[in-house]
Amino acid sequence: MSNANTRSLKAEKVLERMGQKLNRQMAGSLLACVHCGLCTESCHYVLANPGDPTYAPAYKGDLVRKLFKRHFDWTGRVFPWWVKAGSVWTDEELEELKDTVFGKCTNCRRCSLNCPMGVDLATFNRMARGLLVSVGVMPEGVAVVSKDQWEIGNQMGVLKEEYLDTLEWMAEEMQDELDDPEADIPIDQFDCDVVYSINPREVKYDPRTIADAAKIFHMAGEKWTMASEGWDMTNFGLFSGDDDLGGSVAQRLYEKVVELRGKQLVISECGHGYRSTRCEGPNWAKYDVPFVMESSIFTMLRYIKEGRIKVDKSRNSRPVTYHDSCNMGRSCGLFEEPRELLQLVCSDFREMYPNRAENYCCTGGGGAMSMSEYTGRRLKSGVIKANQLKETGAEIVVTSCHNCVDGLTDVIRHYELGIEVSQLVNLVANALVIEPKVAIPVEEVVEVVAEALPLAGRTLLVADDEPDQLEYLATVFEDNGATVLRATNGDEALAMACSEKPDLLTLDLEMPGRNVGEVYEILRKDPELESLKVCVITGRPELRKLIYDRSVRKPEGYMDKPVTEEALVSTVRRILELAHDESAAGDESTP
Amino acid sequence: MSELLHFSEHTLQEVALGFMALVYTIRILWLFGFKAGGERQAATGPPNTTPAKGILYSWANIAMPWAMESTRRHYLIYVQFAAFHIGVTAAIALSFVIPYWPGLLESRAVVLILQIVIGAAFLVGVIRIIRRVGSPYMRAISSPDDYFSLVLLTTWFFFAVLAVPNQIAGGEWHLLGYFILTAFFLVYVPFSKISHYLYYPFTRYYLGKTMGYRGVYPVRRG
Repeated sequence: MSNANTRSLKAEKVLERMGQKLNRQMAGSLLACVHCGLCTESCHYVLANPGDPTYAPAYKGDLVRKLFKRHFDWTGRVFPWWVKAGSVWTDEELEELKDTVFGKCTNCRRCSLNCPMGVDLATFNRMARGLLVSVGVMPEGVAVVSKDQWEIGNQMGVLKEEYLDTLEWMAEEMQDELDDPEADIPIDQFDCDVVYSINPREVKYDPRTIADAAKIFHMAGEKWTMASEGWDMTNFGLFSGDDDLGGSVAQRLYEKVVELRGKQLVISECGHGYRSTRCEGPNWAKYDVPFVMESSIFTMLRYIKEGRIKVDKSRNSRPVTYHDSCNMGRSCGLFEEPRELLQLVCSDFREMYPNRAENYCCTGGGGAMSMSEYTGRRLKSGVIKANQLKETGAEIVVTSCHNCVDGLTDVIRHYELGIEVSQLVNLVANALVIEPKVAIPVEEVVEVVAEALPLAGRTLLVADDEPDQLEYLATVFEDNGATVLRATNGDEALAMACSEKPDLLTLDLEMPGRNVGEVYEILRKDPELESLKVCVITGRPELRKLIYDRSVRKPEGYMDKPVTEEALVSTVRRILELAHDESAAGDESTP
Repeated sequence: MSELLHFSEHTLQEVALGFMALVYTIRILWLFGFKAGGERQAATGPPNTTPAKGILYSWANIAMPWAMESTRRHYLIYVQFAAFHIGVTAAIALSFVIPYWPGLLESRAVVLILQIVIGAAFLVGVIRIIRRVGSPYMRAISSPDDYFSLVLLTTWFFFAVLAVPNQIAGGEWHLLGYFILTAFFLVYVPFSKISHYLYYPFTRYYLGKTMGYRGVYPVRRG
């Protein structure tokens, strides 16, 4: 905090670090803008907010440019008012800058490619984010995710046991599905041709993508492995502008591949993960990567072309469109391969317009999904994407990015489009032609047991104060066989947990009445509720500290809203099944 | 010709040009003082896209209004851009033609062509002033320098149109106005947004190099 004559320490640091971060490309971009306004309509925020010039790329860029002019360009030093040069003095001004660089731009780079001068606004917007992060000025969600990635090694705080359990679970599912005990997900195998890295979101919410990828590797006869550590190819450094974090995360991944003597690192479908690992990581880490890196899109395409897997496109007959991820497309030039692959595995592919380098952001880019304070703006800007999607007439939108999956899912739900979101790996796995095994006739009559619903026999307590959300969660659980109890505030959840002793509680972090953190602590300390599993489901990740900062056992699961039915059921099922396995193991070891 | 006009056509222009060249040199050296960003990763994108192709595409972008959505959708603004900058080139050329090659302006066709070209630029200048003042988006991003530079150039075009015939029979004021404004323009340019053409090759070079290396340039559309 400071008065008008003295600069706050944070503001001082921001300016000091700006001098260290500037390079020739950025300086050129900061100098060259002529305020022609041609970039204005390239931004989805502008299009969704007509009449509000504060969303215009040139306007947003000027907030950073004014600092450059005032402190690094002598024309701005001599005549600051003439060229709109300015400085930052207070922490409040830094907060205002934060609101723009994090909350009004997804760094999608669409304006950069539409600037006649070649001003790369996204690059210096990211630099501005990094400067703010270096002094601790950032959205709460960015702080939380960055902390997880620094401390736990992946941006969703997935623990090693949870990760390995999920891989084991997926391997078992694959063995069942293929009826092949040889089908496996190898861990930490040396000298493999492929080391496969994934996004922690796949472990948390979408393990199906891991199983699908494993199935493809298995069917292709690939010599592959996953790493038990250093497996997260996502990198929040790209979003936060923190090159130190970016370099550290990327290096962790590279060194693991070197340790395993892998020949190639295959990166699962993730836009920012691909860009961070494949393109920016070596620069941030100053590391010359000694192996080949590629997106799994290339890998799957190669398997088909080489005849290592066979696909039948008629298995994906619903109309499909493709959404180009900004990071994969505009920043890495990956446009044609996904389309080529889609043409091979889908029978009705429809192009979205505009597309490729001119596609609009899903609204979830730049880490926007973790900044819940800007959700309203994000969804409002989503009208552009919603219109694009609607016009395709597709029933499925495919994207090669987990951020886009979440961003699109949110937009589709908000604008009630009824379109399904999928990834290429899912469609390829679905189109796989699996040769039937030669059946050996057996004389015995095998009793066919009807498959039970996944949550049959379970009692779940759903605590959420939003009626729509409560009903959605409860319906999904009931449809899957569970008995559901409903609570709309913390006190009610506490009372019902004590009286009804459910198997699992889904807990919203923001509810009226007693503080949710207190409720959680009481539940955890109650010896009678020792076996109660808790899965946090929240739309406000910054409130995680309410629970995670307490010195009691952590929740067994965590999910960010919005949650899909599939992710919800698989997560809850996994928590309950793990609990079952643990108790079984405990029983066995008991004398 | 008066001594003042002779001074304005020669000495004043030479001093102003020398000053501009000096400041430009300093600006370029200053820009090169910033470290250059590097790329360690292997190239992405199709194998036939290279940094060199990206750079060429990026530089050529200015002549390809279809290449960017912003110019494709706003073709009238692109036409204005072209007319304005052709006018600038013609008006600058005029400042050399009058003192060093006045015979060229004895051709009525040349005079007419120059007047049409510079006159069109003047009209675009007026349109641009109206757009900058009238549009809330443009007002929000404009600095005093943006307005002043535009008014300066538009006024300069006006005097240039009058100066093209290089006639002093009706008085020298229009030629004096043109040459004094030219000198002021040369001195003012390095400090203003008008110097964007100095940075243009660099920003476009770096963007083209990066995007070419990553297979984004040349842009493909479907």
